[in-house]
Amino acid sequence: MISEKVEEYVFGGLVAALGVFTLVDATTIVVRGSANTVGPRAFPYAVGALLVVTGIAAIAATARGKLGEAEEAEDIDTHVRTDWLTVAKLVAVLVAHLVLIDAVGWPVAAAVLFAGAAWTLGATWWRALVVAVVLALVVQVVFASGLGLSLPAGIFEGVPLLDG
Amino acid sequence: MGSFSALLDGFATAAQPEYLLYALLGVTLGTAVGVLPGIGPAMTVALLLPLTYTLEPTAALIIFAGIYYGGMYGGSTTSILLNTPGESASIVTALEGNRMAKAGRGAAALATAAIGSFVAGTIATLLLTALAPTIADLAVQLGPADYAALMVLAFVTVAALLGSSPVRGLASLALGLFIGLVGTDTLTGQSRFTLGVDTLADGVDVVVVAVGVFAVGEALYVASRLRHGPVEVVPVGGKWFTREFWSRSWKPWLRGTFIGFPIGTVPAGGADVSTFLSYAAEKKLSKRPEEFGKGAIEGVAGPEAANNAAAAGVLVPLLTLGLPTTATAAVIVAAFQSYGIQPGPLLFTNNSAMVWALIASLYIGNVMLLVLNLPLVKIWVKVLQIPRPYLYAGILLFAALGTYAVNFVVDDLVVLLVIGVVGFFMRRHGYPVAPLVVGLILGPMAEEQVRRTLQISEGDLSALVTSPFAAVVYAVLAVVVVVAAVVRVRRPKAAAAVEDKTPTAV
Repeated sequence: MISEKVEEYVFGGLVAALGVFTLVDATTIVVRGSANTVGPRAFPYAVGALLVVTGIAAIAATARGKLGEAEEAEDIDTHVRTDWLTVAKLVAVLVAHLVLIDAVGWPVAAAVLFAGAAWTLGATWWRALVVAVVLALVVQVVFASGLGLSLPAGIFEGVPLLDG
Repeated sequence: MGSFSALLDGFATAAQPEYLLYALLGVTLGTAVGVLPGIGPAMTVALLLPLTYTLEPTAALIIFAGIYYGGMYGGSTTSILLNTPGESASIVTALEGNRMAKAGRGAAALATAAIGSFVAGTIATLLLTALAPTIADLAVQLGPADYAALMVLAFVTVAALLGSSPVRGLASLALGLFIGLVGTDTLTGQSRFTLGVDTLADGVDVVVVAVGVFAVGEALYVASRLRHGPVEVVPVGGKWFTREFWSRSWKPWLRGTFIGFPIGTVPAGGADVSTFLSYAAEKKLSKRPEEFGKGAIEGVAGPEAANNAAAAGVLVPLLTLGLPTTATAAVIVAAFQSYGIQPGPLLFTNNSAMVWALIASLYIGNVMLLVLNLPLVKIWVKVLQIPRPYLYAGILLFAALGTYAVNFVVDDLVVLLVIGVVGFFMRRHGYPVAPLVVGLILGPMAEEQVRRTLQISEGDLSALVTSPFAAVVYAVLAVVVVVAAVVRVRRPKAAAAVEDKTPTAV
C-alpha cells in the first residue's frame, strides 16, 4: 500500500510538472499579428494551468486517503501483487522490436516481438516461436501483395512475395 | 430530397455486395473484439485506420460502424460467460447474466442480450434516422461560440461526471489536451511543444495515441496482474425459446431502448449511465425483485437494450455536430478527418450519399449481428478461450504494426511505447483513459472555435457566453455539475462501489 501511495504522488507530481513545463514552454511560442486576437499561446496556458491544478489536486486527494481505484478487467487478478518483471520484459521486447525493424527488417522484428511477449506471459517458448514466425511471414506477405503498403523486408530483401 | 428517399438511396448503396461484405467484415471484427478481453472497439478502429487508407471513405466508415455496433454485442457474451466484466457498459449484464449462466440458463441470457440488442439497435437507428437531419438543419445556425460551449460540456461530462474520481478524469483530459497541442498551430503556423523533433512537427497521430493508451497500456497492465491458468467459461445451458422468455423480455427491451437512446444523444458520456438506470428501473418495476442479484432475465434484457440504444444515440451528436462523447466516437471522428471529412451539420448536405449509406448499413449490420450472436454464439465461445499469452502477444504485435503503418517511421513506435507506459500507470491509479482520447481529438477543435469566436468579437471575452444557445448550454452544465456533486456526496459508499466503475475498453 505504501508503495502505491508513493507511486500516486509521483504520477500526480509528473502531471503537475508537465503543466509547469507547458506554462514555461508556452512563453517561447512565437506570436505574430494583432494584439486583439487570441494567439497560439492562450490555449497552452489554459492547458498548462489545468495540468498543474489537477496534478496537485490528485496529490491532495491521495494525501487525504482517496487513492485511485485500479481498473478491473476480465484477465486481471486483483489479488496478486504487481509483477514488475513481466512489465519490464514486455517493454524490453517492444524496444527490441523497434530497434530491429531498421536493422533486420519487419518480419524478424515482428517475430521477436510476438514470441518474446507470448513467452514472457507464460507460453511454451518453441510453440510461441513457431506461431510468431508464421504470423510475421503471413502479415508480411499480405502487406506486400494485398494492401499495397510494404513493410521493410530487411534480410528478406529481394525475396519474392516478402519484398513488396 | 426527403430523408426517407435519401435513406432508400443509402440502402441501395449499402446493399451492393461489396458494401455488404465490408459491413459483414466490420460486424464480425466488432463482435470478435467485443468478445475478447483486452481489446475494445476504440482501439480496433484506431488500428484499422492506417490499413483502410486504400479504401474509399464510405467503405471504411461502414467497417468502422460495424465494429462499433459489433463491439456492443460481443461484450455481453463475455460478461455472461466469464465472471469477469470487461466493457464497462456490460457490468450489470454480468451481474445477472452470469448468475443465469451459472444456474444453467446461459442460453436464455445470451438470447435476451442478443435479441434485446437487435431490438434496441434497430429502434434507436430509426430514431437516429428521424432526428439527425432535423438536428443537422438546426445545427447549421450555430456559431463558433455555441460549438465551444458544446465542447466544454462534452469535456466536463466525459472527464468529471463519469468515473469515480473527477480529479483524475480531469487530469486525464488535460493530458489529452496537451498531446493535442503538440505540433503546428493551425491558425498561425507556429510550432508548439515539438522540442525541436521533426516527427512531432505534424503533431502526435491520433492512431498512435489511441493504440498506445488502449492496446499497449492495457497489455502492460494485464501482464502486471495476469490471471494465470486456463480461461474458465461457464457452459451454455438451458432452452431459451419459451413463452416465459418472451413475456419477461419484451418490455425491458423497449424500456431499455427509450432509456438508453436519449442518454446516448446528450453528451453525458455514453452507455454506462443508461445501463445502470435501466437496471434500476427493471428492479423497481419487477414483480419479482427478489430474483435480482440471483439471475433475473429482466436485469439482462433491459441494460443490454439500453447499452445498444445509447451506442446508437452517441451517433446523433457525432454525425450532426461532430461532437464525440465516447472514446470510440472520438476515434471515429479522427477516421472521418483522415478522409478530409468533418462530421458536423454540413455532413448531411455535403456528403449526403455517404452518410445515408452509413446509416443504412447500421440497419443491415444489426441484422447480421443478430445472426452472428444468436445461432453462431458457440464460435465466439471458442474465441473467448484463446490462451492469454498468445492473445496479448497478438495485441502488442498488431498495435506495433498499426502504429508503424501510419507513417512507416520507427519514431512513432517510440511515442507508442511512451504513451503505452503512461496508459499503464493511468490504469493502475484510477485515471480513466477515455477523457484523454476525447481531449486529444476535441481539444484542437475547441481551441479553433474559441479563437474564431474571439477573432469575430475582436477579443471581447463575453462573446463566448452571450450567444443564447451557448448561455443555455453553460447553464445546463452548471446545473448538472451541482446535481452531480450533491449526488456524489450523498450516495452511500456501497452503491458507489457498484456504480462507479471507470470505463475500460469503451
